[in-house]
Amino acid sequence: MSGFKNIIFRKNLFLKLSVMELRGSFNEFKIVITSIFIGVFIITGVGSLSKNLQYEIDNKRSELLGGTYEFSTTYQEFPKEIKNWLEQNGKVSQIVEMRTMLSSKKNSLNKRRIVELKAVDKNWPLIGNLKVETENSGLISTNINEKINEIFVDEGLKNQLNISVGDIVKLGKIEAEVKGIIKQEPDRIFSFANFGSRVLMSSQTLKNTGLVIPGSLVKYKIKFIPNNKKLELSFLNKLIEGTNVSIKNIKNSTNNFNTFIERTTLFISLVGLITLLISGVGISNGVKGYLIKKIKNIAIIKSLGAKNNQVFKIYLLQMFSVFLIGIIPAVILGISTPFLFSPLIGETLFSSFQAKVFFEPIFISCSYGFIVCLLFTIIPLSKTYEIKPIHLIRVSRDKIHNEHSNKIKIFIIFLICCLCFLTVNLTSDIKLAFYIFISLFISLTILTLFTNFFFIIFKKIRFKIGSLLETIRRSIVDRNMFSKSIVISFSIGLSLLVTLNIIQESLDKKIYDTINQEAPDYFFIDIQPSQIEEINKIAINSIGSNNFNAQPMLRGRITKLNNVNVEKLKVDKDVQWVLKRDRAFTWSNVKPQNNKLITGQWWEPDYKGPLLVSIGNKIAKGLNVKIGDKIEFNILGRNFEATIHNTREIVWESMGINFIFVLSDSIIKNAPHTLIATSKNKNKVTSSEFVEKVVSEFSNISSISIEESYKTIKSLLKLLIIIINTIAFVTLFSGVIVLSTILDVSKKDKLYEVAIFKILGSKPKKIILLWFYEYMTIGLLSSLISILIGCLVSFILLNYLFNVEFYLNYLTLVILLLILPIFITIFSLFKMLKLIYSKPLNVLRSHY
Amino acid sequence: MSIMNQNTIIKLENVFVNLKSNIETIEVLKGINLNILANKSICIMGHSGAGKSTLAMTIAGLENITKGKIFYKDQPIHDLKEDDLADYRAKNVGIIFQSFNLLPSMTALENVNLPLEISGNFIDDRQSIKLLESVGLENRINHYPHELSGGEQQRVAIARSLISSPEIIIADEPTGNLDKKNSEAVIKLIFELQKNHNSTLILVTHDKSIANFCDEIITLDNGLIL
Ligand SMILES: Nc1ncnc2c1ncn2[C@@H]1O[C@H](COP(=O)(O)OP(=O)(O)OP(=O)(O)O)[C@@H](O)[C@H]1O
Ligand SMILES: [Mg+2]
Repeated sequence: MSGFKNIIFRKNLFLKLSVMELRGSFNEFKIVITSIFIGVFIITGVGSLSKNLQYEIDNKRSELLGGTYEFSTTYQEFPKEIKNWLEQNGKVSQIVEMRTMLSSKKNSLNKRRIVELKAVDKNWPLIGNLKVETENSGLISTNINEKINEIFVDEGLKNQLNISVGDIVKLGKIEAEVKGIIKQEPDRIFSFANFGSRVLMSSQTLKNTGLVIPGSLVKYKIKFIPNNKKLELSFLNKLIEGTNVSIKNIKNSTNNFNTFIERTTLFISLVGLITLLISGVGISNGVKGYLIKKIKNIAIIKSLGAKNNQVFKIYLLQMFSVFLIGIIPAVILGISTPFLFSPLIGETLFSSFQAKVFFEPIFISCSYGFIVCLLFTIIPLSKTYEIKPIHLIRVSRDKIHNEHSNKIKIFIIFLICCLCFLTVNLTSDIKLAFYIFISLFISLTILTLFTNFFFIIFKKIRFKIGSLLETIRRSIVDRNMFSKSIVISFSIGLSLLVTLNIIQESLDKKIYDTINQEAPDYFFIDIQPSQIEEINKIAINSIGSNNFNAQPMLRGRITKLNNVNVEKLKVDKDVQWVLKRDRAFTWSNVKPQNNKLITGQWWEPDYKGPLLVSIGNKIAKGLNVKIGDKIEFNILGRNFEATIHNTREIVWESMGINFIFVLSDSIIKNAPHTLIATSKNKNKVTSSEFVEKVVSEFSNISSISIEESYKTIKSLLKLLIIIINTIAFVTLFSGVIVLSTILDVSKKDKLYEVAIFKILGSKPKKIILLWFYEYMTIGLLSSLISILIGCLVSFILLNYLFNVEFYLNYLTLVILLLILPIFITIFSLFKMLKLIYSKPLNVLRSHY
Repeated sequence: MSIMNQNTIIKLENVFVNLKSNIETIEVLKGINLNILANKSICIMGHSGAGKSTLAMTIAGLENITKGKIFYKDQPIHDLKEDDLADYRAKNVGIIFQSFNLLPSMTALENVNLPLEISGNFIDDRQSIKLLESVGLENRINHYPHELSGGEQQRVAIARSLISSPEIIIADEPTGNLDKKNSEAVIKLIFELQKNHNSTLILVTHDKSIANFCDEIITLDNGLIL
């Protein structure tokens, strides 16, 4: 009974003391709370959203697939017997998809865009509804099949070309009227890897465009709902055996989108995790700053008989309440993300998206939040063990023996293990989790070593007594090593910033160099073999024949490797995509220019023998094949077997035309095919004139501007860099907490210093100058350490992760080098300036 | 076997304290032998830097000794662990500092309650209010330290040092920061309360007139008792 009472009172004490100590201090934790909030919010939000999406997909699989099964084939219509069988045994809707250029007639500038055509029959859609916004009747559910030479377009295309409902656009041979804007396309989701915007039309309209000619890259699809609900997939597989038709059903269909969601979730979660880990430094700094202010209080409590553990718990409890303030709103906002996004998702992804609350992301993000917070709090908090009540009377320099340090070390290791475990859980990638932790750990270790190294030097060297250098040296080395705390707190943020900047600039330079030297300006697709001569002529007269480079292309699937069906093969995860869908092939008896042979030789220029193939080196490794092995392809419904003759290194970065598979010249070249080409010219105007000429003369040819594509990639990259830079800035800024508290704490000493200087007859100017030097030195030291570490880390990352040359922009470096000393100096002097003009005697009287 | 006679509460045997400064180690106490009798008041005098504070804090268990022995009653306290020393302080010692050392985040009443809460003996406010009344602060109970004058703050500190009815009160220049009028009041109060609570008082002071109130006066010089 009394034991129970005791427990309550003990608890009470902790709570009471914590509340009292924390009263009015929440303001100081703004940055800490913000950092926790951002990290936890990202993890919860992304987790909830992705769980919700996956849940919806699982529930709407057949709607998204557009049927129970989807059959598809490239280049050719479905074999008659398959189509007939399907029509007799269930509901069928046939769709044709292809890429082409659409040009608006409205603008005099003749604007063009590459679009994804989708031509449907009268049965489409088998499941769900097409919703379109038209000119006069608003949003309606409708059908496009009846309409001839009329199309529906995407919102995106409408904005890009600045067209509106009722406008006339050019498509192949016809001029079509835009009849409405697509608001909801029931089986849209699977084509998210689209090049261009969607244009929807009837099959008859597509015929009229004249775009479907032999060799043009056309995808035929049949959506199928069988009458017999018990129909087995294996039966259908038999039906398509020996053809180049492939089947998707609701079980394997969502793979793509699921992987996409998983990848994206993983990526953003990692950003969240790294935010949290980096903001851990901010947390640590915040806690450190708070505790520095509380040193005296802790000493008092201890002098009254409080044990170390009691003090530890009292302050831990306070920190916990601070964490909660960050974590709770983050979780609440996080789980409401699906609700906030549901209108947008309902419009673009799912017809009716139902937002829900999921438990798992809450659990994961809370665990992360608390573990990271604890980890970064424990270290500064364990310093409370070192505070002795005797500090109330004098500065103690005794070596402190902390009997709890081992327990705390074990606890920290335990926390790190938990974190690793959670990360492995989140990323399902042990290697990645390992890398993240190792690199963070190494960077922090190097940072501490560097700082300690400099301070040991500072402690050891002596300048002439009374000299300026010596005065500065003393003021930095003295005073509880506060300067060291300042240096470490700022260096973490700044070295992150330096690392990011060097990486960004190196990547930028690489991209810039590639675009300017190697990469073509434009890609052309769907060139008919009959057109190539004409285009070559145009090229000779404008950009020069050397700058136009065309290669034949055919799509087909790999069916067997060394006589084993690919469905039964186990290959590296990284190369599974090669086997999954149809791939592009080319043929040539000369080695592609920018490729280097790794093994084997190229075949003779006049080679006429059995089919040979050259394969990308990394892909070959992943597929576990070597020279002499056999690969079977299905192209246009026919099977070809080729022997691997050599392997090449493919330089994807060069942005030229790259084929994984290059076949030897053979009868394949007689099959209907198209060509793919690149063009470039130093003169931008000549270059675009050439493109204009080609696409206006040949309406079936589409062009893609590399610069435009790069813009999208670059803007994505930029966004990422902005996010990480922001985090780095937050981290850098958290150093201010430490600086500011240290200034507050040492204010009394400073005041005293000023008073004495004044009484001894020193002018304020001299005092300011001395402080100026002191803070400048501290700032420069931090900059120096940060730049050393930043260069080191970015060099390693660039060389081993990005494979990009290290590039240092000296201007940025100088700016980064100066930013901190200047900031620290101004900030500190500003805070101290008021003191200088205080009356010396008042200060002395109140100093004790 | 008892090494002390009946009324000895604190006994120091050949106590040395070395303090490390930036450059060198200073011997602050150089072999102190001292018997402090229960319920008496003892005054430590000596010039500045003689080691008075160090001696007082050694007895409070705040300063580690380099050599020698200290006993509280029969118990050796020189080899206690930090947490046990904290316990010893919580149960037996009340400390009054020159610079009050109240927690700024707590009211006068909360400050006085603090030692009880730490030792887990807090029941209610009655006792603390009574103590605050006895130091003349019945109207300042819920004030924060920054709302109190120096003399008032020191009186709160005195009330706090007495709340767990310690057998030993250690006061290190309790009037060092107060003016004459306040000093007299505070000193009067300390002696009065010491009598009422039947405790032992160890008082560090420079002031001869204050010292004269004590039962015994020792003088430190250069780390030794004269
Ligand atoms: N951190 C320290 N390191 C080294 N020596 C110290 C330290 N703190 C105090 N001392 C020295 O210990 C000696 C005794 O100090 P103490 O505070 O006990 O003196 P005191 O008698 O209380 O003086 P005062 O009357 O000025 O308070 C002094 O000579 C002082 O210089
Ligand atoms: Mg003293």
